[in-house]
Amino acid sequence: MIAATKKWIFLKISGAILVPLMAWFILSFISIYDQSYSEVLEFFTNPLSKFLFSLFIITAYFFSALSISEVFEDYIKDYKIKNVANGFLYVSAVVIPLITIILLINL
Amino acid sequence: MENKKPLSPHIQVYKWHISSLVSISHRITGIINIIGITLICLWASLLLLGENSYEAVNLLLNSQIGKFITLGLTWSFCFQILSEIRHLIMDLGYGFELKTTKITGLLVIIGSIFLTIILYLIGKNLF
Repeated sequence: MIAATKKWIFLKISGAILVPLMAWFILSFISIYDQSYSEVLEFFTNPLSKFLFSLFIITAYFFSALSISEVFEDYIKDYKIKNVANGFLYVSAVVIPLITIILLINL
Repeated sequence: MENKKPLSPHIQVYKWHISSLVSISHRITGIINIIGITLICLWASLLLLGENSYEAVNLLLNSQIGKFITLGLTWSFCFQILSEIRHLIMDLGYGFELKTTKITGLLVIIGSIFLTIILYLIGKNLF
């Protein structure tokens, strides 16, 4: 299997996982975004919410990194710029969710 | 190293259709969503600073601008959900007829607005 096919399969699997997680997160977000500190804290310290939110951000960053790299592939001609952009994208997709999850564990 | 792969023709080259509008919107909302998710990660992380520091964030989220951003982000998520479902169905080999692509494209655009309203009302217990 060539790399592009693997990338496409990963994109589709993560996209399918992301759909229900995104729907869950929108509903949760709407119900808490304007609430008090204690209510927002209660949401993020709830084990189920913490697990689903962690899964949501991991999947969202994974999916976004793959799909945004496709945009770079389509519209950036310069090889070096494209490599730097992809490198920044992949590092962000690992670092941001990782830091967030570590901070959430410490809440 | 020289890149010999052809680039996609610029979007201005084509005449606009429902399917092209949905396609480019799918990419734009994808980028908006990941920026939004990054801000949400920051918002969740700010909880560590304690109640007093969170007050400023709470004020912003309760302002008109905060509500507008939340509603806009909700629409962007809803659009992405419906557009992703459309893509997954097309990946299974369905919905490639010209008339069907127009109908499903319209369903994504109009449906995302309805879904935003419905999810907002459910989320706020207004249903």
